[in-house]
Amino acid sequence: MFVLIVTFAISILGMVLIPGVDEQGKVYHLTFFDAFYFVSYMASTIGFGESPYTFTYPQRLWVSFSIYMTVIGWFYAIGSIIALVQDKVLATQLALARFRNQIHALRSPFIIFVGYNLLTKNIILKLSEEGIQSVVIEKDESKIEAMVLANYTLEIPALQGDIKDPDVFKVAGISKPNCKAVVSLSSDDALNLHAAMSAKLLNSKVKVIVEATYDEYAENLNTIGIEIIENPFKIVAKRLYMALRSPSLLMLEQWVYGEPLRLDARDLLPKEGKYIICGYGRMGQAIRIALKRAGIDYLFIETDPKKVRKMKKNDTHIISGEGQDKKMLLDAGIKDAVCVIAGMNDDFVNLSIVMAAKKLNPSIFTVARQNNIFDKSIFSAAQIDRIIVVQNLLINQTFIAIAKPLSERFLRLIKNMGSEWGDGMMLTLKQVIGEDPLKMETAITPKHAYALCNYLEQGGDVTLEILSRNLTDNQQQNRLVPLYLKRGEEEFLLPDHTMTLQVGDKLLFAGDKTAFDDLEYIMQNIYELHYALDGTSCQNSLACKLHLDA
Amino acid sequence: MNLTNVISGFFIILALTTNFGFFYGDPTILEEHSKYELFAAIIFNLIATIYKLGDKTQLGAVLLATSLVADIQLIASASVWALGEYVVGMTPEITTAIISITGGALVANIISATLFAGGTLKSKR
Repeated sequence: MFVLIVTFAISILGMVLIPGVDEQGKVYHLTFFDAFYFVSYMASTIGFGESPYTFTYPQRLWVSFSIYMTVIGWFYAIGSIIALVQDKVLATQLALARFRNQIHALRSPFIIFVGYNLLTKNIILKLSEEGIQSVVIEKDESKIEAMVLANYTLEIPALQGDIKDPDVFKVAGISKPNCKAVVSLSSDDALNLHAAMSAKLLNSKVKVIVEATYDEYAENLNTIGIEIIENPFKIVAKRLYMALRSPSLLMLEQWVYGEPLRLDARDLLPKEGKYIICGYGRMGQAIRIALKRAGIDYLFIETDPKKVRKMKKNDTHIISGEGQDKKMLLDAGIKDAVCVIAGMNDDFVNLSIVMAAKKLNPSIFTVARQNNIFDKSIFSAAQIDRIIVVQNLLINQTFIAIAKPLSERFLRLIKNMGSEWGDGMMLTLKQVIGEDPLKMETAITPKHAYALCNYLEQGGDVTLEILSRNLTDNQQQNRLVPLYLKRGEEEFLLPDHTMTLQVGDKLLFAGDKTAFDDLEYIMQNIYELHYALDGTSCQNSLACKLHLDA
Repeated sequence: MNLTNVISGFFIILALTTNFGFFYGDPTILEEHSKYELFAAIIFNLIATIYKLGDKTQLGAVLLATSLVADIQLIASASVWALGEYVVGMTPEITTAIISITGGALVANIISATLFAGGTLKSKR
């Protein structure tokens, strides 16, 4: 700037001082305006020509000097402006200001994600399809750049910052009333604890969802009142137990997570015989508890003597294995085992264990843990019966906890119902609805059930059964099964058809598409509600409307 | 001694003095006011302004504001002069306007210089 002003000043002054000659040959001095005009277009290399009169040689001498001076000054100024735009400090400040504006403008509820990885990426993707806004805090700039490339239906604001600085949470809008949850699913437990603690202290109303794989951290989190603590290894163990002892519950759970209501080949674990598990780490410990509860015979192989000693204290089903996979597996009795679980935290060790086991015992059921998400193609090529991707396990659970609170509660309630209950439930669903039931969450609120709310507020009685009536013939029942009803703090699992509804009830249904369409009509449209109740169409629609509104 | 402070002080005072030099004289007679002095006042004001950019203190903000006021008024004065010269013709009204506008700039410059001196006196070193 300084250079620009000075070079312009010198050139303009020179142009004014040096005498020129006009058309009549009289001496003419450029005015300041003439000089300013000329220098402006000269310096910016526009060059309209000599004005107002052709220059004399002394003037041209000065002009040729000025050209070099001002053009260089001009480029220098442009260069410094560009350097300023590219300045990293300025760029981060601008990005921060932009982020603040985005957060300030957010009116809808939003979820803060701490850390951006493939796991959170998938959750954000699912949430944005549901129209739920997410905000990301990530330490690593390159991951934020990668995030821009992912095509979300919603624009996801991202902040580069370390959550160890509490200001970062504040900038991300944690104290805003529409901040609903903070999610921290990093593989580093300490970081998760840190995030959970700051989030809870900064806003006690916010729901905190964190991953904790070590028990000490999980306990700490419990003490500070974190609602949802997720442990992927416990999920592995729980699924294993369910697949062994109550496959119907596992099917139901997977159905709630959005998969079809049937059992995959990967869940058909052998229910009798010996299991060999390689690795007694976090996953091994969880699996041990599951197998013990399921009453399965098992044997662990572990290379680390410390872990072997730790387990031997209360369980002797462990041998310390060293060296070759083949010898180790033979020692463990692979020939008469039914299932091998490779649960080490090294993908290639797991693969080699599985390959060796298959060679020794071709009929064995193989389970392998895949740690690195990029090894997918190798694992699928290895024809393993069941692949456990630890990072993917939390996607559905987190998504359900945020976006489908009723489904989440439903899953928690059915968790300990036992296999008979699950079989019965499965049978009901298959008989009433069919092979491929859908599910829907709704609430008796004016937004979702305008007509029904009006009717209930006037003292009308509506039972659950009315909601499942068919709208072409109200004597017929639609294929609808109410799974769960939440009324304030009260919860009803599989509410009865005769139960009367109240305003504010939240409901989870299973059903087919026609049933859901009719359900929405009955809840929203006063005429359809009327038909479902009485079986008569309104003769005089206006009178009918008045009757309902009165 | 901070060299930047010396330079910015120099230009702030120079902006004030040249501005005063131009303003001083009978406001109806243009011959008593040198166009070169107006030119110098504009240039020195602009330079003083860029030296105040980037100062994040409260005082810095006020200094920048006064400088911008002075710049705008001086450039307005020069523009009125060019307008009078080439478009509408010089009348006593235009002449008075040219001088009085720089009078406004002078006030801004005085405030600026006072603040600068005040800020310097307040600092203990």
